Amino acid sequence: MNDLSELRASSVQSSRPKRSAVERSLHFHCNRAAAHTFLARIVLALLATFAIALPAHAHVGNKDVYQTITAGPYKLFITIRTPIVIPGVATLEVRSVGAPITSLTMTPLLLTGEASRHPPTPDAMKQSPDDPAFYTGSLWLMSQGSWQVRFGIDGAAGPVETSVPVPAIPIAMLHMNRPMGLLLGGLGVILLIGIVGIVVAAVAESRLTPGVEPDAPHRRRAIIAGVFALAAGIGSVVLGAWWWNVEAASYAKNMHENAVFTTSLTGDTLALRLAAPDPKEIDRPLRKRDLIPVTTEDLLLDHGHLIHLYAIRYPEMDAVYHLHPAPTGDAGLSTQLPAMPPGTYKLFADIVFSNGFPETETATITIPANLAAAPLAPEDASAAPPPLSAGELGPSYKLPDGYTMVFDRPATINATTAYLLRFRLLDPAGQPATDMHTYLGMAGHAAFVKTDFSTFAHTHPDGSAAMPAVMLAEQSTEAASGNSPSMDTMTEPDGSPPMSSTVEFPYGFPVPGHYRIFIQMKHGSTVETGVFDAEVH
Amino acid sequence: MSTAAHPAPTWSRSDRVPWYIWTGAIAVTSATIGGAWDVSWHRSIGRDTFWTPAHLMVQACGVLAGIVGLWLVVNATLSRDRALRAASISILGLRAPLGVFLAGWGGVAMLTSAPFDNWWHNAYGLDVKIVSPPHTLLILGIRAVAVGMIFLILAAMNRAASHTPTPGAAHLDSEMWDTTTYANPVLFRRLQILFLYLGGLAIGGQMFFLQEYTADVQLHRIAPYIALGIGMPMVFALLWESSRFRWACTVTAAVYMACIIAEILILPLFPAQPKLGPVFFPLTHLVPAKFPVLLIVPAFALDLLWQRTRAWKPWQIAVVSGIVFTAVVFAVEWPFANFLMSKASENRFFGTMYFDYNSRPMGYDRLRHFFHPDHGVALYKGLGIASLCAMASTWLGLVFGRWMRGVQR
Repeated sequence: MNDLSELRASSVQSSRPKRSAVERSLHFHCNRAAAHTFLARIVLALLATFAIALPAHAHVGNKDVYQTITAGPYKLFITIRTPIVIPGVATLEVRSVGAPITSLTMTPLLLTGEASRHPPTPDAMKQSPDDPAFYTGSLWLMSQGSWQVRFGIDGAAGPVETSVPVPAIPIAMLHMNRPMGLLLGGLGVILLIGIVGIVVAAVAESRLTPGVEPDAPHRRRAIIAGVFALAAGIGSVVLGAWWWNVEAASYAKNMHENAVFTTSLTGDTLALRLAAPDPKEIDRPLRKRDLIPVTTEDLLLDHGHLIHLYAIRYPEMDAVYHLHPAPTGDAGLSTQLPAMPPGTYKLFADIVFSNGFPETETATITIPANLAAAPLAPEDASAAPPPLSAGELGPSYKLPDGYTMVFDRPATINATTAYLLRFRLLDPAGQPATDMHTYLGMAGHAAFVKTDFSTFAHTHPDGSAAMPAVMLAEQSTEAASGNSPSMDTMTEPDGSPPMSSTVEFPYGFPVPGHYRIFIQMKHGSTVETGVFDAEVH
Repeated sequence: MSTAAHPAPTWSRSDRVPWYIWTGAIAVTSATIGGAWDVSWHRSIGRDTFWTPAHLMVQACGVLAGIVGLWLVVNATLSRDRALRAASISILGLRAPLGVFLAGWGGVAMLTSAPFDNWWHNAYGLDVKIVSPPHTLLILGIRAVAVGMIFLILAAMNRAASHTPTPGAAHLDSEMWDTTTYANPVLFRRLQILFLYLGGLAIGGQMFFLQEYTADVQLHRIAPYIALGIGMPMVFALLWESSRFRWACTVTAAVYMACIIAEILILPLFPAQPKLGPVFFPLTHLVPAKFPVLLIVPAFALDLLWQRTRAWKPWQIAVVSGIVFTAVVFAVEWPFANFLMSKASENRFFGTMYFDYNSRPMGYDRLRHFFHPDHGVALYKGLGIASLCAMASTWLGLVFGRWMRGVQR
């Protein structure tokens, strides 16, 4: 099922520790109702023509991976469209934008563990006849978890291998749509009538000498046999529906659910806690396992922090904070909040598990008036753009210190299309800023948020994959091939010499709608947050 | 029962096996080869598309069955062939031999399974196991086509064997075993050979269902013997009864074993590489099936037994057969399993050195260790249960087989 049009846009990820009773009930009820009997399924199929969409994992509502990767002289712009059911087929689009390449292969394998050391045979990607720099392919992801796609690049400069991490989880369960329900229901009825007819005719006529018509006793026996056949047929259908129900329930129980994320605000201290299904209970479905606290040992450092927390004021998006709560020593994290305008905030917290699997946890908090506030930490950032209701922001955003950030916005932006979105920082004289530095190891950070808060993605100039996962993929590739392709992702540690004032983010908006984009770049010791709006078709 | 006003049918005058019967046999052969190839594909390569040659061979079965069915239904229903019409049954105004309706039902089941399976993949992901509801419908469809073709041959065979055209010939079944006078002995023999061949494929189809229990590392457990007891005597009994051939069990078991051994000899000749990971056992060729269960020995025992018990009541035959089948299959397969675990069997014929690409190095299969063997009381109790199952299975097969011997249309 690669047809996103069959799906409802993923609703905003639960901001509660667990799903609400209503949401659970809906999910449960739909699963149960869908599987009661075959006929019930058909009736339901007439009514339900949509899928239940479940929360996404990394980012929110952004399942696809958009990544640029530099390996030796080669540079690839990679789009990986992951399936929404697992096992499923991921489709890949790759554009070569560096040294010319002559062939490109792809291999799916897990990111960590023993399985990551036993890759299958690579598949050649298909070169476009019209555009020799463009390659496509598809591959199977057989289990949910933290995967990587390894690319074998060949060209004039010789062969090089590199990998992109791909988190794969089922995010939806289809319901049968009306035409399919009618088709299968119709064929099912034909099969039922058919088997009864065959039994009746077989008993009545099949043992008669050719040309002889069945007499009354034969016909009577045939009708009795037909009644038994009908009962057996209906019994088989009921049994089949029960089996279907069991299979559907088993699939639903293994649906991924983000870690349980709880927040508490005491004074100006925001405390965070995470809990996830016990990985030791491998024999139990995910949703039946006990929840155990996620400790800091379970997480990987991402740009020096275990958690990257965006707080965006609801509903106007007129205040945004990029914060980094630190471990508290009791399996939790906390941070002292800076001065924040009172109101409701949606929290988006990026974490990466030790197997490279990224999640964005969500929550909602209310900031009271007169919060005793700490100053913004040096690595934190904030902005106070005009509210959404004040109208769409233009492509040029005036920053508090006189600098300007410019968005070279494409004339039109279409959903699920891969773009390199370019942003430039200009000094007060309107010239490209010259005192640029990396911010948290990156030339820039971007947050793409749908204005109804239903999708969120925190990405970087190398793409949407989580940095620790990218590093694990690189380690895995190096272990396998012995070469060490240079990534342009970690080229500029903090404090390095000034760099370009232009950054590009590979990204594809997941669904049509209005988006607000928050871009962070650093010049001198100032972290700037530019804010832009985009209409996506 | 009233006699129709038709003139005497003319179908029995030719010695030639009708084209539609040949085509039906080819259809079932195609599905059998396609099924084995597909399983090997998944064990060797892992990933596939709708258009793999293995899938096409399975689909070809449905297409050929559809062509045969349509031709026979049109001709029998529209009375173009009066002999055919006379030898047909009627369902909702359509006329055709019983086997055609069964095969047609199988074709519709196969057809239904395609969109169902596609939807299943979209809803719950690609297959990680063979036994899912849509796959079961597909396998049921293939089996129905195969059974339909068996019935198509059976009816022609029974007509060719029939020594009397009078109404009520079916009642003479019990005397017909040795005293049959053949209306057309040449045609009968040809049809019987085809019938036994398809019967052998049916034995293979039944064993396909049981393969999860009968893998070589399982053969020192009781489960494979119970599974064999449930699944096999029934098919042997009905083939023996309906084929009118005293060595039917031996021949059909030989066909099954020959097919699997041929698979072991042929499939590794074709190159293949795993396309899914993790690859714990690197491959360069297709992986064949495991060496077949030595069914020919218990089948031979059943043939000998049933040749001597024709005057017995079905339940009496079933009781003895259940014990004989279980005892012989156990006596043969248990020690043979030891051989399959040994280095001596790691050759191109027995093929115990072939493993799936994802077969873990420390798994029972790779280590050639028996999986949780049964012994002592559990073993003897299990053999008792297996015998009881084999008795019930034999009885069903005998009763249905005798019914099948009367099928004329």
